Amino acid sequence: MKFLKSVEPIHIVLLLLLVIAGITGFVLMSEPPVDATGVAHATIPAMSVGGDGASKLATIGKAPFYFQIAVILLAGALLYMGVAPHKRDRTLLLFFAGGVGFALFVWVMLFTGYEHYILTGETTVFLGFPMPTNWMFWGVWGSFAAFDLFYVIFFRRYFFTPDEEAEFDALVEELKSERGDA
Amino acid sequence: MEELRQPIILGCVAAYMGLCIWVGIWAMRRTKSAGDFFVAGRGLGPVVVSLAVFSSTLSGFGFVGGPGLVYATGMSSIWMAVCSALGYATGFYLVAKRIRMVAEVRDTMSLPDVVFARYGSETARLLTAGTILLGVLGYLATQILAMALVLQSILSATEMFADISLLASVVISSAVLIFYCVTGGILASVYTDLVQGIVMIIAGALVVITAASVFDGGFAEATGILLANDGEDVMPFGTLGTMASLSWYFLFGLGLAGQPHVATKMMMNRKLADNRVILPMTVLGYVVAAMLWVSIGVIMRALVIGDIALPLGAADEAAPAFLSTYAHPLLAGIVFAGLFAAIMSTADGFLNIGAAAIIHDIPKAIRGRSLNNELFWARTATILLSVVAAAIALYSDKLVGLLGAFGWGTFAAALVPVVIIGLNWKGATARAAIVAITSSLAINFAIQLWQIQIPYKMSGGFLAMLTSMILFIIVSMMEKQKPLPRDIDRVMDL
Repeated sequence: MKFLKSVEPIHIVLLLLLVIAGITGFVLMSEPPVDATGVAHATIPAMSVGGDGASKLATIGKAPFYFQIAVILLAGALLYMGVAPHKRDRTLLLFFAGGVGFALFVWVMLFTGYEHYILTGETTVFLGFPMPTNWMFWGVWGSFAAFDLFYVIFFRRYFFTPDEEAEFDALVEELKSERGDA
Repeated sequence: MEELRQPIILGCVAAYMGLCIWVGIWAMRRTKSAGDFFVAGRGLGPVVVSLAVFSSTLSGFGFVGGPGLVYATGMSSIWMAVCSALGYATGFYLVAKRIRMVAEVRDTMSLPDVVFARYGSETARLLTAGTILLGVLGYLATQILAMALVLQSILSATEMFADISLLASVVISSAVLIFYCVTGGILASVYTDLVQGIVMIIAGALVVITAASVFDGGFAEATGILLANDGEDVMPFGTLGTMASLSWYFLFGLGLAGQPHVATKMMMNRKLADNRVILPMTVLGYVVAAMLWVSIGVIMRALVIGDIALPLGAADEAAPAFLSTYAHPLLAGIVFAGLFAAIMSTADGFLNIGAAAIIHDIPKAIRGRSLNNELFWARTATILLSVVAAAIALYSDKLVGLLGAFGWGTFAAALVPVVIIGLNWKGATARAAIVAITSSLAINFAIQLWQIQIPYKMSGGFLAMLTSMILFIIVSMMEKQKPLPRDIDRVMDL
């Protein structure tokens, strides 16, 4: 318990960066399949095709899936650092847990939808695009747009409270009088 | 109407350029000091700042390169755009408040000033300024080249300017840019950004509507064609695959707040509380404008793959080809103006921070004070920087490629740990900042110089950024924390 209390967001950030580095290292050392990054289109210049999606993941397996989970957690930890320690209360923690949880849910839906497609060749088209692509457009963007919305709604509670505004104004005045500007 | 297509496009572009010149003259009367020139006296309202932030982020790359990338590789590059909500969240959660506070208590004019205030290290300031200068030269050269190529393509379609050279196009387009940047400094830059941002939003929205009507069945029909032919291209990772896409998400999502031309604009708002309004306007503006990226790319790819349109010679022709074939002449005119807006709004920001690096930051780091008569030298440096960048653009393709690729990744890798983490963690040290910047520059340069091919086409900038972030934290943790200056310490408590 005492150990957990001594853990700060920066430690989590470092841990997640190391996890991402580890996964990246694994990917870099694996042997890429021939069409890992697509192949040139047979007849159309300046265009590539994706080829067999399943073979692209043959040597790295679920590494991209875990990579992005670590990135989402890292993004959450970094954003959490943006709230001053004395303002980090239970509500904030709940929002962050919910927000990051939603981002992870979106990612799971996106990746499993993509896996389903590369295994079966089937997908549902919704709003003009395949479902996994919709999860990317609206889900990946929307999950962090929720953090933007949180910033707007709770600006005066977590990001720039009236007390902080007064404290900052006082600091500016203090520095001005020290410099003899006032 | 169709026969008037070229005159209408030319008219829209000319009107836009005229507006930029007028803003330059207007801003000149309000620019009386270096502070006005570089940070607009920290007196801008929320609408201006939000449009300036978003239009600086979305450069000509988004309007020309983006659709081209979707045409060439499907959805892979869209990860650079869908990360914008995270990118701006990172910027506003971690940078916007602190950087504006430091700017006020230390009367800073540039990002290197802020780095010095935070770390108390002239070496860190010098490295930050050097990084900015290198990145700016490359980025600016690519923007000037893009601007000239677009102008040349528009003018050469008319009888009068059919044989216009690239040099003449560089001179004409750069002259407008230089004029308003030199006369009005950042004030002209942000107010033209305001115009540019509005033009980009209108262009983005109208293009989506137009693109959706190219096929009778809308985007679903285009998707059907792509699914029937390859399928991977219209799935979320495009043809480049998972790791290339996700490395871009990391670099662009977490790296946005490290872009100096974006971070600098966060110092310019009149009131700190305006950040609450600036963030949502920025996010929405970007999203609407970026829709052009995906919609043109997908439609052009489906048209060519479906044998409805002829293949393009180069992927970057996707946007011009779409506009000249499928868009109403007036819309084409607005979008071409929007294209110039996207390029110029980024270029003017670069000119400003580049000039600050030359006449303010580097002299301060080396001799302890900036140049006398900063305003005069700021204007001179702006011209000098433009001429050098234009020369690089015209006469050194290799250097453009090298420095251009250096741009975003370099800024993100070098400055994200130093700025984003450093402004929110008191344990960060000057030595760690120096190590982070140096290592990121070394990695980025090595990758570019030796043309190192990274497996799975992962971004080199991502590798540099990941390394610099890890080194930054570990080096800081290994060192004993030094007390911060009182004002910075109090700012970091707020």
